[in-house]
Amino acid sequence: MLKRTLVANRGEIACRILRACKEAGIEGVAINAANDAGTMFTELADISIQLEGEGLSETYLNQQQILKIAIENRCDSIHPGFGFLSERADFAQAVMDAGLIWVGPSPEAITKMGDKMTARITMRAAGVPVIPGEEVEGGLEEVLAVAPSVGYPLLLKATSGGGGKGMRAVHDASNLESEAKAAMREALNAFGDDRIYVERLLTGSRHIEIQVLADKYGRTIHLGERECSVQRRHQKVFEESPSVALDAELREAMGQAACAAAAAVNYEGAGTVEFLVTPKGEFFFLEMNTRIQVEHPVTEMVTGVDLVREQLRIAGGEPMSCGDLSMRGHAIEVRLYAEDPSNNFLPAIGKLKRFIAPTGPGVRLDTGVREGDDVTPDYDPMLAKLIVWAPSRGEALQRMGRALDDFVILGCTTNIRFLRELCYHPDVVDGWTTTDMIDRLWPEGWTPDMESMITDAGLLIASACESNNHGNTISVGATSQVAPSPFQTINRRLP
Amino acid sequence: MEFKFGGDRIEISPQRDGSTFIHEGMMLHMGDELWLEIDGRKHKATATKVGDVWWVHVLGHTLQFEVIEPGAVGSDDDKGLTAPMPGKILEVHVKVGQTVSAGETLMIMEAMKMEHKITAGSDGVIESIFYQQGNQVEQGTELLSIS
Repeated sequence: MLKRTLVANRGEIACRILRACKEAGIEGVAINAANDAGTMFTELADISIQLEGEGLSETYLNQQQILKIAIENRCDSIHPGFGFLSERADFAQAVMDAGLIWVGPSPEAITKMGDKMTARITMRAAGVPVIPGEEVEGGLEEVLAVAPSVGYPLLLKATSGGGGKGMRAVHDASNLESEAKAAMREALNAFGDDRIYVERLLTGSRHIEIQVLADKYGRTIHLGERECSVQRRHQKVFEESPSVALDAELREAMGQAACAAAAAVNYEGAGTVEFLVTPKGEFFFLEMNTRIQVEHPVTEMVTGVDLVREQLRIAGGEPMSCGDLSMRGHAIEVRLYAEDPSNNFLPAIGKLKRFIAPTGPGVRLDTGVREGDDVTPDYDPMLAKLIVWAPSRGEALQRMGRALDDFVILGCTTNIRFLRELCYHPDVVDGWTTTDMIDRLWPEGWTPDMESMITDAGLLIASACESNNHGNTISVGATSQVAPSPFQTINRRLP
Repeated sequence: MEFKFGGDRIEISPQRDGSTFIHEGMMLHMGDELWLEIDGRKHKATATKVGDVWWVHVLGHTLQFEVIEPGAVGSDDDKGLTAPMPGKILEVHVKVGQTVSAGETLMIMEAMKMEHKITAGSDGVIESIFYQQGNQVEQGTELLSIS
C-alpha cells in the first residue's frame, strides 16, 4: 500500500488525486510553481512544496527538481495526473530508478504507445484493427508514393505528435506536396522529429474510447466507452457514456480489442484506448493514452468505479477491487473553458469575482478554482468539468442544461452558454455527434442568440445596480456589528 | 443612464418604486439578492462590477454592460485610458505633468501574450498615473488621467 504520494500536477486533476489520497489514507504532497501559491490544490495537500524557477520547463516539467522534492519529503510514490510528465517514459524510469513507485504503466508500455508508428505496428500484430494507412520512414518522396494506395481524403500526422500539431487533412492530390511539407516542418518544430504517417481520413466518424484497468495479478478489464466526438481544435468539450452508437455487441467487441491492446504492452493501471467508429460500425485503433484521462468522471458515474482510487490501489500492489462491468444510467461531462466562443473560442482571462457552482442530485463539479481566483494566461484555460448523471440520456441532457443555467461565473468570459445550447442542439439531442460537428456548424465561432427580453432584463439589472451601488453597500462591518439572528445560531445551541 | 453593450450604446431610465426598478414590464426587486419578476414569475439574478463593467447573470445568460459616465463625449476618449482587458503593465512612457498630444503612446500593456498600446484620446497634460511597470490590472481599470 502507498503511504505518501507526490502529485506532480496542478489545478483540478491535482485536487482530484489529492482527495483520493486522503480518502485512501495516503498522505498527499503537492508541488506548486510560485504563481500557483495558495491555489486550491495546494490547500488540499498535506504539504505543498514550492518549485523553484519560472515557466513550465523549470517547474511542472522539471524532472530532477520534482524527483528531488519527492525523495527529500520521503514520498514512496509519484502520481503524474494527465498532461505534463504523465506520458514521459524517461520520467517514469527515473522515478523507478530512485526506488519510488510510478502510479502508471511501465516506461516500456508508455514508449510503445507514445510513438504512433510503433503503436500501430504493435496493435496490428495483436490483432487490433488499425486505420488503413502507411507508416512513412523516408520523407517527402515516400509520402507522395504511398498516398494513392491509402486513398483520399487522407490525414498526415506527426509520428511523435499530439494535440493537432503536424496534422494536415488533404482532400485531393494537388495539395499533397505543400501540405506534406508543412506537416513535416510543424512536426520538426514541435517535436524535433519530422517523421509523418499517412492515413485515410474517416469523415463523419465518431471518437469513442474505452477505459481499461489492469492490475499486477494478470487481470485486465474494460469499463465501457466514452463518446468524445464533440471537439473543437481537436480538443474535447462534451463527453458522455454510454454512446448512442454502441450496442452491447459492438461494446463487447471494442472492449475486447481494448483489453487486447493493453495486454499487448503488459499494461498496468488505468488507461484509455481511443477508437474511430465509422457510420457503418467498423472501429479502428487511434491511440492509447497511458494515464488517467480528463473525462474519466463519466465512466466513474456510470460504472460506480473510483478510477483514481483504483490507480492508487494497483500501484500499491493490490488487486483491483472492481467486479464485472455494469453500466447504469447516463453521464455527461462538459468542459468549462475561460474562452470567448464569439471570438473563435480564443482564451480569456480575468478574475472570478463570482463563481457559484450548481448543485443538486447527480451533479458533480471537478475544478481547481474558486471565487476570487485569477484566471491567468500561464496555464490551460480549462476552469472546471461539470458532470451530471441521470437515469437516461434525455434526463441527463435536461439536468446538464439546468445545471449550466444555474452556473454563475462573473468577471471572466466563459463558454458556459455555448455548452448550454450544445445540450439542446438537435444533433446532440439525437446523438448525431461527430468530430467535425463544431467546425461544421460554427466555422467562425459561436455567438449567443439573445432574445431582446434577455438584454432588456440585463440592462434593467445593470442600471438598478449602478444606481444603488449594488454590492458595495453591504459592508462586512455592517453584518459583523449586528448581533446574529437567533435563527442562525439555533443549530449551535441545540445540536 | 447610458451603457455600452456589445458595441452599441443603450440608454435606459427605469422607473423606481422604493427598492423595485421597473423596465419593459419587468420588475427588479433589489436587496442583498437580486430578484427579477416577469409575468409573476421570479428569477434570481447575480451582478458584480469589474472596473466600469457590470457583469450580469440572468436566465442562464451572462451579459456585460459598460457604464458610460454622464457627459462623456465619444466613448473612445476615456476608453483609451482604461485597461481594455486584464493584463500587465509592460512600459510607462510618460510622467505626471508631461504634455501629450492625441494618439501618443502612454503605456504598453501585455494581455493574452499580446502587446497593447494605451494611447491618448486627446491633447492634454498627464494628471495622474495610477499604475507602474509590472503591475497587474483588471479589465476596465483606469490607468491614468489627462486633464
